[in-house]
Amino acid sequence: MQDEGIRERVENTIVDVLKVDSTDLGGDQRIREDLGADSLDSVTLVMALEDEFGGSINDNDAKSLATVGDVIAYISRRVEEKALA
Amino acid sequence: MNRRRVVVTGIGMISPLGTSALECWSALMAGRHAVASVPSEWRRYAETASTIWAPLPPIDWPAMGIGRIEQMQLDTSGMLTIAASSEAIRDAGIGTAPADAKKNTFRLEGPPPERCGVFMGTGVGGITSFVGNLANHVMSPLIGDVSDPAVLPPMPPRFNPYAVPSMMPNAVSALLGIRWSLYGPNLTFSQACAAGTVAVGHAFRAIAAGSVDMALCGGAEYLRDPYGGIFRGFDIARTLAAEGSDAQRANRPFDRDRTGFLFAEGGASVLVCEEAEAARRRGARAYAEIVGYAETFDGYSIMSMEPSGTRIADMVTAAVQDAGCVPGDIDYVNAHGTGTAVNDEIESSVIERLFGATPLVTATKSLTGHCIGASGGIEAAVTALSIAHQATHACHNLEHPIRDLRFAREAGPCQIDTAVTQSFAFGGHNAAVVMKRTD
Repeated sequence: MQDEGIRERVENTIVDVLKVDSTDLGGDQRIREDLGADSLDSVTLVMALEDEFGGSINDNDAKSLATVGDVIAYISRRVEEKALA
Repeated sequence: MNRRRVVVTGIGMISPLGTSALECWSALMAGRHAVASVPSEWRRYAETASTIWAPLPPIDWPAMGIGRIEQMQLDTSGMLTIAASSEAIRDAGIGTAPADAKKNTFRLEGPPPERCGVFMGTGVGGITSFVGNLANHVMSPLIGDVSDPAVLPPMPPRFNPYAVPSMMPNAVSALLGIRWSLYGPNLTFSQACAAGTVAVGHAFRAIAAGSVDMALCGGAEYLRDPYGGIFRGFDIARTLAAEGSDAQRANRPFDRDRTGFLFAEGGASVLVCEEAEAARRRGARAYAEIVGYAETFDGYSIMSMEPSGTRIADMVTAAVQDAGCVPGDIDYVNAHGTGTAVNDEIESSVIERLFGATPLVTATKSLTGHCIGASGGIEAAVTALSIAHQATHACHNLEHPIRDLRFAREAGPCQIDTAVTQSFAFGGHNAAVVMKRTD
């Protein structure tokens, strides 16, 4: 079950980091291939998500997040586990 | 070959007195200074002899074009530099156009970017960021072990992936070259308290010699680490002003009762300098012309000034000669004027020896506090503003001058045709820039 508020916060963070148009964001879009993130952008995105949700995201988890939908699902699960806020 | 003429056409400044050049200048002229108690949390780690500093005012970073992502990526010294440069470029009337929206970079509507250089000074670069990252690194084995996280010192929640670029001193110059797409020489000078003056001097030389047509130059510094460790470094060396019975009067350069310098949280100043003819052609307003520069080295002690002041006197003499002037031409000296016993004694002696009691002498640090590597840039900006406004700020809190010089006892109008701004640094670096009015 995904919270609309979490989806919006994740998408806003992606927009802030990658400077993409929010209307272009879709769940199956790939962060690297479709949204143009390079490796530094990916590191920055993880840092920005940690900042937004107030917790830490380990490297292995970060590497598994390929699409916008992956990020939303991952953050939602971590929030549900109360590992992120 | 004739040396090309160089003018200051734009000024940006952030200091404990304000977040723009106008705010800082207004505070200087009104005699508004910045003094406060150091952050109380620092006392957890050490009882310091000095307990006062000059904090920066609150800064609205997004309003300065620095959004939340850049705030995570940059050390505060870098953000101060970018913000001051934005103001300076705007102030110079140079238009900008977006270059890369994702990177938040721009192109200047000015000389070819290959002909534009960056010359910035900083004492410690992004060290405060690294102190935070180091704390996170060292404490990480304990984070899961302690039952009460409050026993750990406050620290950033992560070891920042930008730890290296935020720490490196050259970031203050590199960030400006990136932000404004400038491809000429991009240099960082790290002569401690003289860094900003050295940077302005080398920008002047580069434009005068024809290697660039425009330069962003000045100084930047940020000194508030989470634990007051940098403050303690200066305190333990017994260089800082004691609070005494009245904190508001503790910072008093050139006064008999001075006890040390007022540590500032940080600051930045960026000047736009241009080849004079090109500036005239585009209709730019010039605050002042830079006409001379010189530097010497004490070769004496890593921390103490050479007592005779010989190398300082040689340096100021050379700067005046470089400007095509004689000592009698100088009518304003923006002194290094820190408020330490040794600096003020030696500096006032050199001023008396070279200039007598003719020029007005003032100490900007009497109001801003000491912004270390930013101070030379701030004082170059204040000197240019003083020439443009034909006015001086006062040497604040000066009640019993240690020498019979013409100290600026009050703020107000004055004639300034030719001015010297000078800085000296731990290590032994001495530098001065000479400026003239343009009309």
